[in-house]
Formats: sequence, structure tokens, C-alpha cells
Amino acid sequence: MAKSKPTINDFRKRAGQLVDIDDMHPLPLPPPFDKPGSEPQIKPLPEDGRRKIETDLDGVSAVRFARPETVDQKRELVGKFFSGLAKLFDPRSNWTFLEPLFLTMEYCVRCQTCSAACPIFIESGKQEIYRPSFRAEILRRLYRKYVKRGRTLPDNLTEKEIDAAWTMIARLMESSYRCTICRRCAQACPIGADNGLVTRELRKIFSQEMGIAPRALHQDGSVQQLEIGSSTGMPPAAFRDNVSFLEDEVADRTGMQFHWPIDKQGAEILLIHNAGEYLAWPENPMAFAIILEKAGIDYTLSSELAAYDAVNYGVWYDDIQFARVAVRHAEIARRLGVKKIVIGECGHAHKALMVIADRILTGDLNIPRESYLTLLRDIVLSSRLPLDPSRNDDITVTLHDPCNMVRLMGIVQPQREILKAVCNNFREMTPHGVDNFCCGGGSGFAIMQDGNFPDWRHVVSSRAKMRQILNVFQDIIGPEHKKYVCAPCSNCKGAIRDMFAAYRLFETSNILYGGLVELIVNAMTDIEKPFIDWQWH
Amino acid sequence: MSLLQLTTYIAAVFFLVVVILKTVKIARMPVHLRWDLYPIPHEKGKAAYGGSYFENSSWWEKPRLVSRAGELREMVVEIFSLRGVFRNNRSLWWFSYPFHIGLYCLVALIVSLKIPVVLHWTGMPVGGQAPGFLSLALQYAAHAFAAAGWTLTLIGGLGLLAMRLFKRDLRSYSRPGDYINLILLIAVSGAGFIAWVTVDRDSHHLRDLAHSLISFLPAPTTTPAATACLVWLTDILLLYFPFTHMTHFIGKFFTYHKVRWEDTPNRPGSLIEKKIQQAADNPVGWSAPHIDPLSTWTEASGGGKVPDGEK
Ligand code: SF4
Ligand code: SF4
Repeated sequence: MAKSKPTINDFRKRAGQLVDIDDMHPLPLPPPFDKPGSEPQIKPLPEDGRRKIETDLDGVSAVRFARPETVDQKRELVGKFFSGLAKLFDPRSNWTFLEPLFLTMEYCVRCQTCSAACPIFIESGKQEIYRPSFRAEILRRLYRKYVKRGRTLPDNLTEKEIDAAWTMIARLMESSYRCTICRRCAQACPIGADNGLVTRELRKIFSQEMGIAPRALHQDGSVQQLEIGSSTGMPPAAFRDNVSFLEDEVADRTGMQFHWPIDKQGAEILLIHNAGEYLAWPENPMAFAIILEKAGIDYTLSSELAAYDAVNYGVWYDDIQFARVAVRHAEIARRLGVKKIVIGECGHAHKALMVIADRILTGDLNIPRESYLTLLRDIVLSSRLPLDPSRNDDITVTLHDPCNMVRLMGIVQPQREILKAVCNNFREMTPHGVDNFCCGGGSGFAIMQDGNFPDWRHVVSSRAKMRQILNVFQDIIGPEHKKYVCAPCSNCKGAIRDMFAAYRLFETSNILYGGLVELIVNAMTDIEKPFIDWQWH
Repeated sequence: MSLLQLTTYIAAVFFLVVVILKTVKIARMPVHLRWDLYPIPHEKGKAAYGGSYFENSSWWEKPRLVSRAGELREMVVEIFSLRGVFRNNRSLWWFSYPFHIGLYCLVALIVSLKIPVVLHWTGMPVGGQAPGFLSLALQYAAHAFAAAGWTLTLIGGLGLLAMRLFKRDLRSYSRPGDYINLILLIAVSGAGFIAWVTVDRDSHHLRDLAHSLISFLPAPTTTPAATACLVWLTDILLLYFPFTHMTHFIGKFFTYHKVRWEDTPNRPGSLIEKKIQQAADNPVGWSAPHIDPLSTWTEASGGGKVPDGEK
């Protein structure tokens, strides 16, 4: 039987799983997914799994945190959570985000204007627990009681009280991974409060104080990047092997033979790709290499630890890991003596290094940093490449705006200028630009592949993007038309790839996704064969 | 000094002091990492579509084009139309809008009542005793502000209270304080409305009181009970107001100007750089296994050292 809609108080008081997956009724999708049973479902975790890991929010597990078995374990976790809460409002421990967090805690007027802007809340059929202000209000109540009024947690909590406190904290932990930090809600808020920021600040308590974060973000993510060289697990030697393999691949596909510059001292530009591109979408770094070679750009890649991987997962959950990776990137650029760092097709890497790290990098680490979009826009519009947009005429292209580059950085036009120069059949999604919807993979979701979390992503967090894609191509939705979603960001591509696979969108509707640079090379007249390989991969 | 004057002085001074302290507290918070949100209205030539200087190649070599006029325009539009609420929460806007416009009118009413006194000090004969063009204009303005102010605030306040009580998504997030705020504001605007309709159509009692307050003269002896009641309720509001989120006009200044629209790049040798360096000297404090709580932020971030790794 369906439970009543949970309220803020239920978050602390109601036992067991707060929301059942079966009680979620996401908004219906347009054709061809308008018939019952035509879209994927969220599979419940096996009973055994639910017993072992924390799933008391909604039966989905993003963090996969093992349920503590004893009351002492719970007591310790509860204690750590509250010490983390205090540090979140300490001007030394959290100088990085104290002011915006404080403003959000103090000045939200609980008007719910942000709710209509949140794709997760709306698409889930208005699940209360996904409302932007829901988790913020829980943090606000804790802040008012324990930080503002200075109450401390009593030492002599009973077992029942400890249980209740831990249940609330465990739900809060999972809840902080039900928001993509796309900040559409903040954009809509008349006060300027930021519930997306609250999500990230909550994740910080769990990571920075309690050592809890999804494996994909921490151990396999930022830790691996700093220690092995890349969150993909690719060490420097494998990176160099990959590059040499791709050099051969470029020669095979285009007849162009040249070496990609690596560790070139004094080059003008250090170009850093998201290393996932080398493994999952190698045509992307290949296209970059072709364009830069043809345009005669003086650049280099780096094979130093972390510097061949632009990602910085700390941006989603941990300020210290964030600072470590940002400083590493800058230090390697400094040692190479480059004039600037250019970031490849990766949205969060853009925001990390160009915007947020702007207040981390000082002195000679403050090396100028630029988006690949401006560099490529200048190249494309300068006629340095032989381009014929009609070479892309068999494809209808739409553009996905990665939140990080657009709403959070204001890079809106360069990608459109490029697209208009390289393809004739371009159409915008609604809404687009700074009002876009997240791909559903934001804030690390795209790489979190455990348990039933990807199902939740396909059904809930990617749903608004799915709807936009179906709508923009609705008049040519049949498989006889080739359609391309240009997603100039590795994480967005990952989320869109998984979503397309789950909905079998390529097979049923002939919609492919890919980057921007591939479209540029596809339009180059001196490359004989089409560069875009129209196959599912 | 009458009791009415005394309570009003205390409430006004208290209100000002707390509001200033709150503002100073936020202004003195440490520098934070950038957290821009677009569109940013001061991005010259780009604000309309949400663009930024990051759209320019080698942006750091080019002059930054900042349009303060664009920022001001955005603020004026937002303040006087509540565009954000209009676009994203239309049902609330129907009450929030008259409520806010009513409040602006009441502020304007207070100003229009005090201007004659201030001008009188400067030697300009504009008081009620010496009617001239300016005096008449101010009187008519006060009429209009009083009529609009009391009516709109009352209607808006009642509507907002009803929405908070009956709309589930508002009710379940509301705390007692949210209701107290509205009830107090409704009480003040209701008292104002009644005083205006019954005994003070031309706001002359309020004007006389304002005159006595800013001139430190004895209070008029003829203040009617309805007006006195209005003033006392306002005093209570002034004492209570700074401790509620009703001071969101302060918060909004910072959320917009110091967070969302704060896109000043950190240039070498700048004040921002100095502040960052100071903040990075703080101990990290966090104690998860991957962090040494005693290390400074600079040390914790690796301080620029790069391990050799596998070559
Ligand atoms: S975050 Fe903003 S929009 Fe959302 S409830 Fe609070 S004040 Fe209203
Ligand atoms: S940041 Fe995005 S996903 Fe998160 S609550 Fe706000 S609108 Fe929803």
C-alpha cells in the first residue's frame, strides 16, 4: 500500500524506507515512450542488499554505505556528523563556501519558487523528498538548533534516539546524491538562496569529516587520479601508449601522419582532456589532434600524474580533494612553462579549473585558463580549416548545453557559432542556453554505476533531457532520419550514452550522440571519409 | 518626551543597530570560492543571453567590460516587478507583488512625511503651515502612498497568510515564525488601514508625529488612539523584524552581488589574492582519513608539489 507523502518531520521520525520506488509516478514521456511498459523501470535492490546497505530514503543506493551493525558504530557516526556540521559553519574550516551557505541558511523564505525549476522534482512526479528545499530545510533545522543556538548532542542518548538520529543522517547522505547541483533552483530563487550548494555542502560533511563518499568519486576518482594519474585508472605509460595508438588510428582514418606533442617544454598551450575520452570516445581526442595540427597550434599534452586527466571530482563532494587536483594541474602547467591551459570537452573540468579554482591558485600557479570552445571558435571562424557544412547535411543536429559551461560559466555562444559554421541542420532544444536542463549525470551521477542508481538516473534525473531530445526531434523521430545530440562534455556524453542505451534510442529512433569536435572534422573537405562513424558505441 | 516617542526611538535605534550589525557580520565573512550563476547582468553586451567574459579567447589580456547600468536595470526590474516569482511561482506572485509594492509605498510614505521637516530645517518653507507647490505635491504623494501602502500590504499579507495556511507545499515547510511575521505585518497594515480610513485620511497625525520625532520636539497631544496603536504595533515589528528572514533585503544584496554576480577574476597581486592566501593559512580542521586536520589549506592541497609517479 502506498505510504502517505513524507514530510520533513517524517525524515527523522518515520521508520523504514521513506518512499517506495513503486509509489513514484514520473511524468509521462512523449512518443515513442508514451505507452505503458515502453520505458525502463527502477529495479528494486535485492532484499539482501537492502538489509546490508543504507537504502532507507527511497530504496536506491548511490553511496552504498554498509549499515552500521552496533549501536556504538552508530553513535560514532552520529558524533562525527555533528562535528562535521559545526565545521561547516566555521570560518576557518569552511572559508571556501561559508558565506553562500550562511546566506542560504538564513534567508530562504520557504516560498517554494525553486521547486518548479528543478527537473528532478518535477520529472519524478513531484516527489517531496526531491524538492530542492527539502534537504535544505533539514540542514537548516539542524543549523538553527545545533549551530545557531549552540545546542550540543547529549552524551547519554538512548539506543532508540541514536537509531533515529542515524536513520536521519543516513537518509541525508543518500539525499545529497539525488540532486545534480545543476543550480536551476538557485537561478529561480528570488532571494538568491542556493539549494544546489546545500547539496554539495552536505556531501562535504560526509566526505571531509566522516570519510564517506561514493567509491566512483573518491577512491576510484580523485584518489586514483592523484596517485595513479587518472580516474580511469590509466597510468602515464598507458596514456602514452594510448596516444601512440590513436596516432596510428588517425593515420588509418584520414591519411594524416603526425605525432601528438607530449610534455613539450615551453609550448603555448597545455591541452588537458577528460581522460575518459581516450578510452570511451577516442574519436574525440583524435578530432582535437587533427584540428590543432591543421590549424598549426603550438600546444602540448602532459603525461605527468593527473595532468592528462582534466577531471576534478572534488568539485562535487570535497574541497580538499578539489584543491589538490587543481593545484596539481596548475603546477604541471607552470613547470612546462606554457602560457595557458586549455580544457577539452569536459564541463565540470571547465568550472573547476577556470572558475572555482580561481580562488585557490595564487602566485605563479595562477596560470591563465581558457575553454577549448573559444580556441576552436577562433580557428573555425578564421578559415584556417577547409570546412563545408553540407558534409553534415545528412544529420540533424541539436545541442545539449552542459550546465557547468553554460549556466555556471556563461559560455553560451562559441559552441553555437561553431555549430552554425559546420552544419546546416541545427535546431535548438527548449529550453536551452543558461536555462537548459542537466543531462541527469551532473555532480558525478554519470560515473556512479553501482546497484540500481543508474536506473534511477535514467528514469528520474535524465528524464528532462530525454524529454527535450524527443521533443526537438519529434517531427523526424522515425529511424529513417539521422539525428545527432551534440554534447560537448564527457560526463554529459556518459549520461546520455547510458540513457540512450536504456531506452534503446539509437535502435528505435536513430539518434546518436557525440562531441562537437567530431562534427567539425566531419565537415572538413580534405578528409575523405566521414569522420563520424554512424554506429552505436 | 511621551511614551509613544520613547518606544519609537528605542525601536528605531534597535532596528538600525541590529540591521547594521547583521550586515557587517556578513560583509566580514572570509573570501569564498567563486560560485557564479548566469546570466550576470553586468556582462556588457552578453547579459541578455547569459554570456560571460569566458566567451573571449585570452580573456585575461582584454579589458573587462562591466556594465553597472545593466546591473542597476536588472535590480530595478526585479525589485519593482518581482520577475523571478512572476516567472516561476505565479500563484504566489499575485499576493507577494501587492504586498511588496505596498511595503515600498509605506517606506515612500514615511519619506514623504519627513521631507517637509528636513526641508524646513534648511530654511525652505514647505511645511503644512506654509503650503507651496512642493508642499502640495508631497501631501498628494503622501495621500497616494498611504492609500496604496495600507491597502496593498493588507491584501497581500492576508493572501500570503492564506496561501501559507492552505497550500500544502507552503504549509508543511512553514515554521511558527513564518506565521508570526505575516500576522505582525497584517496587524500593522490593518491598523494603518483603519487609522487611515477613520481618523487620518491626509496622514497629518502621522506627519505631526514624524515631525516631533525627528525634531526632538514634544509629541502632539492630539494623536488619536488608532494612530497610536499603529505606531506601537510598528515599534513591536521593528524590534522583532531584524531577527527574522524578513531582513532578506540584506541577504539578497549579498547573494546577488557577492555570490551569483561576483565574477571578478583573481589577478596576480590583487586584494582577492591576498585574502585567499590569508584564508589558505588556516588549518583545514576536517578529520576524515584523507585529511590531516592540523595542516593548513596550502599544505593540504599539496602546496604545488607533484610526486614523480610512474614515468
Ligand atoms: S530557496 Fe529560494 S525559492 Fe526556494 S524556498 Fe527558499 S527562498 Fe523560496
Ligand atoms: S541543483 Fe538542480 S537538481 Fe539540485 S535541487 Fe536544484 S534544480 Fe534540483
